[in-house]
Amino acid sequence: MMQVPRTLWNRWLQNAQNNPDQDAVIHWAAEKDPIRWTWSRLMSAACALAERLAGAGVQKGQVCALIIRHHPDFYPLYMAVSSIGAVPAVLQYPNSRIHPDKFRQGIEGMSRHSGLDWILTEKELNEKLAPSLSRPGSTIRGMIFPLETGGPALRGGGGEWRRAQYDVNESDECLLQHSSGTTGLQKAVMLSHAAVLNHLDSYARSIDAGTDDKIASWLPLYHDMGLIAAFHMSLALAIPLIQLDPFEWVAAPFLLLEAVSKEKGTLTWLPNFAFNLTADKVLDEELDHVSLKSWRMIINCSEPVRHESMEKFFRKLSSRGLDRHALSSAYAMAETTFAVTQSAPGSEPLVVSVDREKLSKGAVSVVRGDSNARVCVSSGKTIGGCEVRILDKDGEELPEDRVGEFVIRSDSMFRGYRNDPAQTDKALKNGWYHSGDYGFRHRDAYFIVGRKKDMIIVGGNNIFPEDIEDALSSVPGMIPGRIVAFGEFDPELGTEQVCVIAESGTAGADEHKRLRREAMAAAAAIDVTIRHLYLVPPRWLIKSSSGKPARKANRERIHEIIPIV
Amino acid sequence: MISDKLKKSILKTLELEDWDIRDETTADQIPGWDSLNHVRVIMDVEKAYSVRLKGLEILKLKNIGELQRLVDSKHG
Repeated sequence: MMQVPRTLWNRWLQNAQNNPDQDAVIHWAAEKDPIRWTWSRLMSAACALAERLAGAGVQKGQVCALIIRHHPDFYPLYMAVSSIGAVPAVLQYPNSRIHPDKFRQGIEGMSRHSGLDWILTEKELNEKLAPSLSRPGSTIRGMIFPLETGGPALRGGGGEWRRAQYDVNESDECLLQHSSGTTGLQKAVMLSHAAVLNHLDSYARSIDAGTDDKIASWLPLYHDMGLIAAFHMSLALAIPLIQLDPFEWVAAPFLLLEAVSKEKGTLTWLPNFAFNLTADKVLDEELDHVSLKSWRMIINCSEPVRHESMEKFFRKLSSRGLDRHALSSAYAMAETTFAVTQSAPGSEPLVVSVDREKLSKGAVSVVRGDSNARVCVSSGKTIGGCEVRILDKDGEELPEDRVGEFVIRSDSMFRGYRNDPAQTDKALKNGWYHSGDYGFRHRDAYFIVGRKKDMIIVGGNNIFPEDIEDALSSVPGMIPGRIVAFGEFDPELGTEQVCVIAESGTAGADEHKRLRREAMAAAAAIDVTIRHLYLVPPRWLIKSSSGKPARKANRERIHEIIPIV
Repeated sequence: MISDKLKKSILKTLELEDWDIRDETTADQIPGWDSLNHVRVIMDVEKAYSVRLKGLEILKLKNIGELQRLVDSKHG
């Protein structure tokens, strides 16, 4: 008898056969009854949608971009793509602030870099995206609107779904994630079935995840934390997923607490800012009937982990039964599928106070009672299948308590950036991924303290400063190439905010007013919000040895004049 | 009608010198009002009016006019 290949679909099939009537995904929306997908109905809908996609011409190996808002039929659609052996890539649905041309350019850039074959989306985007199809050199074969019909009929189940996948192998690519960037410069990370399944099994062991768990998540599925930790973990391990709408959550963060309470959720991943937002925005009266006793792990990941954010989150929710030991942390990246390190279940992450000055020189010296010390929260220990080394600038491995770059080797590693050998060679050397993140190891736990790259992380989303600088260069009055963008930590929000220093050749209050307005609009067009814009005269910016304005030096210079508020 | 107090609070939070804000203006029409700054705007409006707004109340707001009416109803 032919052996069933180790693919995502075949794992889902096995889970569905074992648990046909159990909840697989619970689609959550504010003030509405949740829509519950049992395994058999989910698989049946996936098979029905797969027929639709195949009928439209989608074939094995082709990349399908999914650009769809929070929708109950998104889940079987994603699985349908996988069942054909095609490669799903979830992309962000454009918000109304993004300029249609910029959105289209982003998709076209992604098409060139990632080789998108199909766009699966909503009819509303037809007009915006149609020109991209006919553009010379476009790889996009067509747009499909697979969720325009079906709805309740699709969710009724009854169709045949018990068919294994034989024409796909574990070494075939199973999904594509975009690691960072906003304007089509994103690096496309392709992962195989083996990498994703290896990772999910190892990661599940490191957090003792099993079928008694329930994942509650508002994370968008175009983000690796939402896609891998919440969605794929749920499907591969048969752990029910309660999926909320990210837009609803950010306006009403108590929705996550309500979902955890009503559904007895146990596992959640959150970027650091979400801890602040929950503590600051949820009202005590909203918590009246909320119990958080079931919540056993709330994993802080995708942004630098802040001790004060975790503390205020706990203070806010401890009266609702939240266990202090549920506070947890991880370090992750799309290139290794997701997690590299994770704090142990049932215990808080290790927290140490270290001497700031020594830390800036690369040495870790633990101090007590020093109010100027930097409080560092560990991201835990390596998960199974992962190795971490910390290297100095010459590539030599450093011992404990020394700061260097994290390089990682894993059995769930990406093979390289799609269609980008130059970036791949820079990042992947002899099987080790050079993360660009800086940190140290202390008592076998890993701590991230900074990064080599100038990446800005806002609410868990990575933004290249170059994207912002390019966008602002086109504003009349700005001096092209004389603009620097950088991130600044905002303690109130618990995340970074974008700051820009720009040289301008114009003077006068009215002109500056116009420049500010147009700069904000240019940034908004690529979905970036500038928190502080500093306009400076020509030749103000400090240049690096390469002749380009140096971000760090200019950031320090502006703060000598205007202190951080 | 949007009050000066509400308008000033929004402009200050978003570091805008001026912007035409009317009843029917929506958040996405105001520079800098994205999902993260939305949180900041709401928190500053709450401070300015000494009120607290519930998540579901905020979720239902369609434009600035509705935000004005909501804070007015709480402020008495």
